[in-house]
Amino acid sequence: MKSYFLQAIRGITHNKSRTFLTTLGIMIGIGTVIMVFSTGEGFKSYINSQIEMFGTNTITIETVVPASTKTRDAGDKADNANMDNNVANRAIPIKTFKNKDIQDIKNVANVKNAYGSAFGQEVVTYKDNSKTTLILGADASRFEIDKGVIEFGRPYTNEENSSLAQVAILGHTLAEDLFGDSDPLGELVRVGNYNFEVIGVYEPRGGLGSFDDEQIFIPITTLQKKILGTDYLGYGIVELIDGDKADSTSLDIQDVLRRNHDIDDPLKDDFSIKTQEQNMETFNVILSATTFLLIAIALISLVVGGVGVMNIMYVVVTERIGEIGLKKALGARNKDILYEFLIEAILLTLLGGIVGIISGSMLSFGVAKLAQNFGFAWKFSVPIYGIILSISISTMIGIVFGVFPAKNASKLNPIEALNKE
Amino acid sequence: MLIELKNITKEYDNSGVVTKVLRGVSLSVKEGEFLSIMGPSGSGKSTLMHIIGFLDRATDGTYLFDGENIKDFSDDELAYIRNERIGFVFQSFNLLARTSVLDNVILPLTYSKKKNHQELATKALEAVGLGNRLNFLSNQISGGQKQRVAIARALVCDPKVIFADEPTGNLDSKSGTTVMSILGKLNEEGRTIILVTHDRTVAEHANRIITIKDGEIISDEHNPNPRRSKIIEDPTDDIA
Repeated sequence: MKSYFLQAIRGITHNKSRTFLTTLGIMIGIGTVIMVFSTGEGFKSYINSQIEMFGTNTITIETVVPASTKTRDAGDKADNANMDNNVANRAIPIKTFKNKDIQDIKNVANVKNAYGSAFGQEVVTYKDNSKTTLILGADASRFEIDKGVIEFGRPYTNEENSSLAQVAILGHTLAEDLFGDSDPLGELVRVGNYNFEVIGVYEPRGGLGSFDDEQIFIPITTLQKKILGTDYLGYGIVELIDGDKADSTSLDIQDVLRRNHDIDDPLKDDFSIKTQEQNMETFNVILSATTFLLIAIALISLVVGGVGVMNIMYVVVTERIGEIGLKKALGARNKDILYEFLIEAILLTLLGGIVGIISGSMLSFGVAKLAQNFGFAWKFSVPIYGIILSISISTMIGIVFGVFPAKNASKLNPIEALNKE
Repeated sequence: MLIELKNITKEYDNSGVVTKVLRGVSLSVKEGEFLSIMGPSGSGKSTLMHIIGFLDRATDGTYLFDGENIKDFSDDELAYIRNERIGFVFQSFNLLARTSVLDNVILPLTYSKKKNHQELATKALEAVGLGNRLNFLSNQISGGQKQRVAIARALVCDPKVIFADEPTGNLDSKSGTTVMSILGKLNEEGRTIILVTHDRTVAEHANRIITIKDGEIISDEHNPNPRRSKIIEDPTDDIA
């Protein structure tokens, strides 16, 4: 076995520049695979940090049109059968999710805190500047859960929420749009028919939070009573004491909501509860699909690289035909020659793979540094499964594309091979 | 009898044109013989040696080696015989380029079950007077030395028979003489030597000379006084 390796190493060190060019395709392919995995991990860490910005260990409650209702609708019109959940949500507002639900959820075991929230849309005006923007209403608990930082001013209080106070906190971009360089604190902005006092301005959030930068934040009761004229919530965020128990807590919250909403049939649930992990999963599905696509593209490069290796191995067999004849004359069996060439091909692709892993890692490190320079919370890591996969792929390519030239070499008739030199 | 050929024929079929290279060769070689096969080029002497040396198979006829019919041997068994029981010396040396003298001699050992490769190869190189050239690269030594490395390589697995195909063909006369004297010495030690040559003086080192022409043996003579050359010191041996 050792001698096969020695012969193979002798082969690939014989013509170094050709070895390099032969393995280039494999290097690029494996480099791409590593980059896709590594930047994928980096992107995941970034998304994770973004999701955690809205609170760690949280559960999201959204209102949904009950499955049973949708089925009934679909029965009437076949076209509606594929009706998208979101479309359905917008078409039929669910009015059952109330502030009382949030209060009850706060009493569930393992729940640390919770807030209910609703959205509205209004024109916000300050002097000559006006902007149509989303209004987010939430109770004061939001400031304890959400990781957004108020740059100037203060959050509103529970008392202000109960007393329908007309106070507002502006997203960073919105504040700039309305006030330019002047100080918004204490100024009045018009939201619909009401004047609101600006009591705070958020720091810019960027990334997934950039929507927040353009919004205005007011107490939920003020939004419901004065602007929307409703008494229900759009969604709720629940903060947990122990994130590991998210699943069982979700079930407890489900019980509370079913009891409050008089639901006895799970098909009639008018809410959906998602843990942070489930939210991450949705993202991971998208990331996996993207990763899969990119890996598929990298595989094309690897196949092309493999064909290159095969071509060169055929050339090498022809070049060394005399040597093969000699080895056979000296007692090499067919399988000795087969293994020598096969191992040479595997070493070639493995070498390309290793260089690919190193260069791919270096490139992803560059991407991570670049992202960090732009302020993204991007972690650099090369996942071990990526390295294992890369090494297995390059070995496999060596076997698949090396076996035909190696078989050719092993089947040579010794005397014909000797005479050809 | 070590080697027994009965009515061996060899034909080459080149897209329908059949060339008869050997037309029924019968020959017996005893263990310990020094046999020269002579003949002009194209006579079939090399083809005959390739068949006796298990590098090629006959079209027809019987070949018994040590009493066994080689027709029944698989490719792997033939490889085993080439490795363990015979050794080859070629006209153009056929050493691995950019490889040390020692590694060249080790090469056949890597295909055998023998152990102590370094030791056996060193011993074989010492036997041909190249004990001081172990780590030279094959392209750093003279032609005569190359052929001696090739003899050491043929010798290293301790074979019964050594086949030499025009071993002096690419050498100057001094180096050629040295090579022939080494082969003569190996024969005296009991090894069977089968030599192919077109050169009468080289052939006369053997104690039996057969002449082949147009694929047939035309003479088989006993040589009672084989030529014995003294080993001439290769002047390049001293250049370190």
